[in-house]
Amino acid sequence: MLHRRMLLAVAGIAALIAPWEAAAQKTIKVGYPMILSGPGALFGEPALKGAQMYVDEINAAGGVLGRKFELIPRDTKGNADEAVRVSRELILKDNVDFLVGTLTSAEGPAVSTIAKENKIVFIAPIPKTDQLTAKANLHPYVFRSASNTTIEGRTAAEIVAKWGLKKIATISPDYAYGQDVTKAFVEHLKKIKPDTEIVDQQWPKLGEADYTPFINAQMAKKPDAVFSSLWGGHFLTFAKQAKPLGYFDAVKYNFIGAGEAASIESARTMGADYPVGIWGNSYDVNNWPGGPPAHKTYIDKLRTYTKQENPSSWPVTGYVAMQFLAEAIKKAGSTDSDKVAKALTGLSIDTPIGKQTLREKDHQANRGQFWGKTVNDPKLGHATMQEVLYIDPAPFMD
Amino acid sequence: MEPSFLFGQFLGGLTAAMFLFLIASGLSLIFGVLRVLNFAHGSFYMLGAYLAFQFVQWVGPRTEGFWLAALGAACGIAVLGGLVERLLLRHLYGREELYQLLFTYALVLILGDVAKITWGTGQLSVSRPPSLEGSLNLLGVIVPHYNLFIILLGPTIALIFWFVLQRTSVGRIVRAAAQDREMLSSLGANVGMVYTGMFMVGSFLAGLGGALVTPTQSIVPGMDVAIIVEAFIVVVIGGLGSFWGTFLGALIFGQVLSFGILIFPRFSIFAVSALMAVILIVRPWGLLGRPLR
Repeated sequence: MLHRRMLLAVAGIAALIAPWEAAAQKTIKVGYPMILSGPGALFGEPALKGAQMYVDEINAAGGVLGRKFELIPRDTKGNADEAVRVSRELILKDNVDFLVGTLTSAEGPAVSTIAKENKIVFIAPIPKTDQLTAKANLHPYVFRSASNTTIEGRTAAEIVAKWGLKKIATISPDYAYGQDVTKAFVEHLKKIKPDTEIVDQQWPKLGEADYTPFINAQMAKKPDAVFSSLWGGHFLTFAKQAKPLGYFDAVKYNFIGAGEAASIESARTMGADYPVGIWGNSYDVNNWPGGPPAHKTYIDKLRTYTKQENPSSWPVTGYVAMQFLAEAIKKAGSTDSDKVAKALTGLSIDTPIGKQTLREKDHQANRGQFWGKTVNDPKLGHATMQEVLYIDPAPFMD
Repeated sequence: MEPSFLFGQFLGGLTAAMFLFLIASGLSLIFGVLRVLNFAHGSFYMLGAYLAFQFVQWVGPRTEGFWLAALGAACGIAVLGGLVERLLLRHLYGREELYQLLFTYALVLILGDVAKITWGTGQLSVSRPPSLEGSLNLLGVIVPHYNLFIILLGPTIALIFWFVLQRTSVGRIVRAAAQDREMLSSLGANVGMVYTGMFMVGSFLAGLGGALVTPTQSIVPGMDVAIIVEAFIVVVIGGLGSFWGTFLGALIFGQVLSFGILIFPRFSIFAVSALMAVILIVRPWGLLGRPLR
């Protein structure tokens, strides 16, 4: 009997609370699948931080449509299957209204299919594979505020073309990202500078521990310049082995590293071992002399938010993605995914890195990256970009 | 192809080989005496690298303190190895080999998490010591001093071990322990001590390999699993438990990898694995190993 009475009481209380709860629950829930453990967490954590900072900012200003944002992060462990699993859970259990997130080029397309199935808007802030928004995979709910391999490879080609060098070599990890970005680089360079000669292409496996044979073999082909897409710890290992072998001297530092080789993270970790003088790119820089005032404001806020004088270059990825979502909800006047998806298509917004547009054609942002030649910064105690170049990729996107 | 290029490729392969020998010799030594296939050997290597990083932070980066840090890291791993053998592994000697294998595999997972919790998931880096920062020109090939040091260190360690194992009384006992542990213990030798000692020496080599590799690689989670696979290939080629076999296996591994990329640019690792497969079929006990009874 006691059981039954207790049940009744609980049901009664629940009935009383329910409408109340519904009112309090009117937050806009955003699921954020991201790598939060394992090697990729080095980038996933700050990417989450950027999104969180934007959410805190907009909530402090009253939210959107009078509702506050609630960010629900989930660890994908850098695994596409796990990303799919947590995304499903976010949709079914946590009842999120939108998905923003994923980091690798395996996770992005996998979660995109979940978004399509559930008719939920999904914005990818980091995955670069062209496949994500290629014709065969595009659907009304997927958007990418990240750069992509076509943009990254072609931008590098635009820079290298200006060097006026003929014999070009490449070294890239042998998997989807490395292959795609290298292909984009080579094809675009040959198009804008037809006398280009690709003298050597090295494909070490992803996670190679000993690059020496590849370095020697490449040096033997005597290239004038090199394009690389070794990223993170891979670039670090490569550069530490290449520098004492005289590799960078041999190409006279005509070396351009895609895959964020000039990011604050890489420069800081390597310290004096950094091959200063090479070119590289980064998602963000903490000092952008020619940049818009909005960027300076953003970096100042980020410094306060992270309590770091020289914060990571990754928060901007999450920040801009959340910004797109909030602006689209505002424009749609609704949190209905169909309406928000319509609002996102072709949407232009002002971000810390300038005007960004999600193209109608393929839902891809004209997201460029920062590129520059590196110099030693005695104040920081490590390498940094000398002249920061933000190249708008719009003119050479397909 | 220029001869200087081929020479450079050879030296690159040699450096890689000597690193591998440092690590694989410990694995082979432990197996030779204790008959335990220690999966966690790669974890000891990784922890050696992390410890070296930590010690270098304390003694000051880019100083000769690097040597102290490397030695300290190797000793730290030796102590860790001793504790693991004494407190844990010892209870599994009577059991089936599968239990030992499972136990050392569990160690891989535990130590991997310990490293992540302690040093995070980011990439860490250690610089070369100033004394070996430069390079020299050897027959038209630029050879970093540090690589030269590694190339010389490998054979030195091999010779020390050969001498100790073949020419000293300690070596005699170790060899006897490898041959027949019951007989040795009935003769009054403390086999338990021999086992702990050998496990510590093997762990020391793993830790030293990890510490010395830090100036040429980034320290990242996952380097434990990558190295254990390569070390296994080396000992399988050379012969499990055979000391000179490990040396030969490492030399072959390094050169096949180095020259393999000239023939199969994208499949150099395939060449090494194929070699291992062939050896397993033709001579399952390895090039210099002896068939297990």
